[in-house]
Amino acid sequence: MSTFLYLFTHDTLTLVVFFPALAVVPLLFFPARAQGAIKVYTLLATLGELALGGWYLLSRAAPGAAFPFVRELGLDGQPISWIARWGIRYELAIDGISMPLVALTLVLMPLVILGSWKGIDKHWRAYGAAMLLLTTGMLGVFLAFDLFLFYVFWELVLVPMYLIIGIWGGDRRIYAALKFFLYTMAGSLPMLVALLWLGWRQHETTGQWSFAYADLLQLSLPLQPQLWLFAAFGLAFAIKVPMFPLHTWLPDAHVEAPTGGSVVLAGVLLKLGTYGFLRIGFPLFPQAAHRLGKPLVVLALVGILYGALVAWVQTDMKKLVAYSSVAHLGFVMLGLLAFDLVAWQGALLQMVNHGLSTGALFLLVGMLYDRRHTKKFDEFGGLAKVMPVFAFFLVFSSLASVGLPMLNGFVGEFLILVGSFKSEAADLRWAAVAATFGVVLAAVYLLKMLYLTLWGPITRKENEGLRDLSVREVLTLTPLCVLMLWIGVAPALFLAPSTPHLQQLLATVRARIDGDQGERVARSGRGPLHQSAPMAPAVASGSGAGAGIVPARVPRSKTAAAAGAHGPGAVPAPAPPGAAP
Amino acid sequence: MSHADPLLRADLASLLPELLLGGFAILVLLGDALAPSLRRLWLPLSAAATVAVALLIAAPGWASPSSFGGFIEWTPVTFFLAEIVLLSAALCLLASQAYLRREGLGTGEYAALLLWCTVGLLFLARATELLTLFIALELLSFCLYALAAYHRRLAMATEAGVKYFLMGAFVSAFVLLGVALLYGETGTTRLRGIAEALAGGSGSSVVVTLGFLLLICGFGFKMAVVPFHAWSPDTYQGAPSPFVAFLSVAPKAASALVLVRLLGTVASAQVGHNWSQLIALLAVLSMVGGNLLALVQKDLKRMLAYSGIAHMGYLLIPLVSVGHDALPPVLVYLLAYALMNAGAFAVVALLFARAGEQHLIAELSGWGYRFPFLGLCLTVSMLSLAGIPPTLGFVGKYLVFFHAIQHGHVTLALVGIAASLVGAVYYLRVVYVLYMKPEVQAPGPLLIDFWGRLAVLAAAAGTLVLGVWPGGLLDWLARAIGAP
Repeated sequence: MSTFLYLFTHDTLTLVVFFPALAVVPLLFFPARAQGAIKVYTLLATLGELALGGWYLLSRAAPGAAFPFVRELGLDGQPISWIARWGIRYELAIDGISMPLVALTLVLMPLVILGSWKGIDKHWRAYGAAMLLLTTGMLGVFLAFDLFLFYVFWELVLVPMYLIIGIWGGDRRIYAALKFFLYTMAGSLPMLVALLWLGWRQHETTGQWSFAYADLLQLSLPLQPQLWLFAAFGLAFAIKVPMFPLHTWLPDAHVEAPTGGSVVLAGVLLKLGTYGFLRIGFPLFPQAAHRLGKPLVVLALVGILYGALVAWVQTDMKKLVAYSSVAHLGFVMLGLLAFDLVAWQGALLQMVNHGLSTGALFLLVGMLYDRRHTKKFDEFGGLAKVMPVFAFFLVFSSLASVGLPMLNGFVGEFLILVGSFKSEAADLRWAAVAATFGVVLAAVYLLKMLYLTLWGPITRKENEGLRDLSVREVLTLTPLCVLMLWIGVAPALFLAPSTPHLQQLLATVRARIDGDQGERVARSGRGPLHQSAPMAPAVASGSGAGAGIVPARVPRSKTAAAAGAHGPGAVPAPAPPGAAP
Repeated sequence: MSHADPLLRADLASLLPELLLGGFAILVLLGDALAPSLRRLWLPLSAAATVAVALLIAAPGWASPSSFGGFIEWTPVTFFLAEIVLLSAALCLLASQAYLRREGLGTGEYAALLLWCTVGLLFLARATELLTLFIALELLSFCLYALAAYHRRLAMATEAGVKYFLMGAFVSAFVLLGVALLYGETGTTRLRGIAEALAGGSGSSVVVTLGFLLLICGFGFKMAVVPFHAWSPDTYQGAPSPFVAFLSVAPKAASALVLVRLLGTVASAQVGHNWSQLIALLAVLSMVGGNLLALVQKDLKRMLAYSGIAHMGYLLIPLVSVGHDALPPVLVYLLAYALMNAGAFAVVALLFARAGEQHLIAELSGWGYRFPFLGLCLTVSMLSLAGIPPTLGFVGKYLVFFHAIQHGHVTLALVGIAASLVGAVYYLRVVYVLYMKPEVQAPGPLLIDFWGRLAVLAAAAGTLVLGVWPGGLLDWLARAIGAP
């Protein structure tokens, strides 16, 4: 009980995660008709959460240095047990990999509420409650370091999103909501079985029950079960990402969801999938991930090109942005599958970038929809004349999404392409080349959108009197655009906190992949599969993984880290700020 | 004689809960006859009595582990099951008040019958001898038949009662025949004695197998597993909704425990090799059949009936390899099922005013906003039935599937997973109707009383609280039962 009190009264991750859920309780006592008060309260709650979480992150971060690995411990300095019987812990932790995604979530939520101000016209109390619960769920997924806890948060996200799409969505909302729910559930139930199997295996091997991430990392599984487990976990993550051909829920969900729902869906929910691959799928089942790497790369490529082509032919703005998500997330997956530090840096950054730029695009589409109640291109044209501020933001966000240098999208995509081109672990030159066409296509479809909506003569009478963006709307968009520019101009600042952790994770993954490859080579008696595949795993992967873009102030003892020290617990404390190049 | 007296006293003392409840039921009946003006009190008072008994039996050491020469036992397992039964009885009694008032039905008989039924269930959970088991089964069955047809002005209720009675009577005969066969082959009706005799090699294996098969049929019927399920949708539909909160939970729970005992006996005696395949088959049939049939239902009570069949299928999974560690998953699952199902039926009882007509799911359209509290509680029940965390329903499913994986039945777990995916569709349909459809009709004059709300709240809160903090429950079970 004292631990419980302690967690909720101090500057802890628990408070950051559960503050939104706690903020739901007063919401229930608002009279349902007091829409205005409910809106303001919800906004204040998300702002409070931003302040709380922002304080937590900023007080621990140092510019240009790695974000420290912080584990939530009980009063006694021990991990907090949740269901002791099964070794299930309430284990929250944050490191440089989850930090950017947590920050993204914190920043997006108040903007989502601001962006829903006009668009949501009924049941605001339920809407606010759903959004706040969703926040808790998403933060929980990023911060859970016990797989059981991870699963619980993973499922917790599902219900509020289902309600948001189903209650406040468009005409086909029921279909879209159910499709979203069933797709996700179909993925997460096999994940549950795999999780249980993993826990059982852990018990068989060590004699102790544990679902803790750090413990499961130590479990070295034979290839066969790894393949099954990776398939089960990967299915859940791939549906969430979504990877081709499991993406079909996404356009429906996006198009039908209200603006706020779309922003959260694209901004954060899709990242749960890529984060899952990065945090759980690859580190726990590295050999399986590597063996299945080629097919997955092909799927990621198909996603990039197919998503872009389909986006090109859309006649509906929201659908276009939705399919662009498929393409962008394909890039992220390509970067992750390269098993290369630069590519991983890019992928992580691109997750945040996509959340910012696509979030902004969805907000903009929503603002247009609030005015004209349509999202079709042929209803618009020449809007730049009547809505110059809107035009500015739309152009800015689109260019960020296209990957214009100096804006954030460029950095992410460039790192992913460079990283996968030079990757030693996977021979992905062809894929990187093919993916480059995706960048070109992105320019094609987004510029088409700009052309059709903003430029040319005003074709419709109704559009002549459209109001430009209000102060509230400008306030909603400005933070996103500032961040897009900031990341584009000073990417090093945003890459630095996560680099050492990515490096660490990559080293453990690569060590095991290389071990597997060496074994395979030895067994088949053929030459090495990849010319550059290092034969002496520990040392070579240490140096291979160390070639990051940002000079990382990490561990002098790279080889030691690569050879033995697994898990987040092993990430060395960052150097004190100021000791840097 | 002086030697026998204390023994008898100890034996009677160990029947305290049954005696108290049975006696209280008689008092209620008398009170109802003498002071009809107090009729509003009987149900809450009876609920209070069950709660009091539930608290009383939690006191350690009040009963000897074995009494009446070993015919009746009192172990942590029976204690846990007794608590489940008493809990569902209390929820049912509280939820019934509004229904009986609305329909103008007598409360005294209703309370008395339900309490006697509870007594029968307690006996059923505690009996370790086949004839005691049979008598307990009869006691509870007769009360159930009467209660199912309680709304006597309705043809539908009569149909429900008659259907249940006819099939139940057959099944009672099955059980009795099974007992007779086992007695004929082994010369005893005690389960332990039977196990010993069988282990000693006495008895023809065909007759013994047949005897056990008949018993499994009998209790499978009470649990409503496929293919013994046909009565349940019709009976649920016609019986008073709040009573179904009890009917769909308590008899199933007690029968499941009996099934565990029977399978334990069979397993220890090692007669027949295909028991686990048989149970696995029943489990798969129930999970798949129940979920698929529930999918096409338009009537909420029928849907819940089929969902109950599916849940019994999940529950059978740990019984496939019955052993000491099968008990915690079974018991937790039963508790979860009791809370979520009783909660759902309690809401149904409050929201559907016209007894004897269909309880269409579509009728609830948009009512989630009209009745925020009941809507939310129904949603919690549905999510728990669908097995979504953080609810107790998820913990139950988790334990069941975990048990299956530990014993190498990964395929069975995967079938269960696929079935629960189907289940999610129709549970979500209720949520969808509650919140996502515009209201099509305003409710008729409803009677939503304090007691009903209390029952609904208790069920929903229990589902959530135990879902978030299952640690204490699991620890207790592990300590008490000594399983991992």
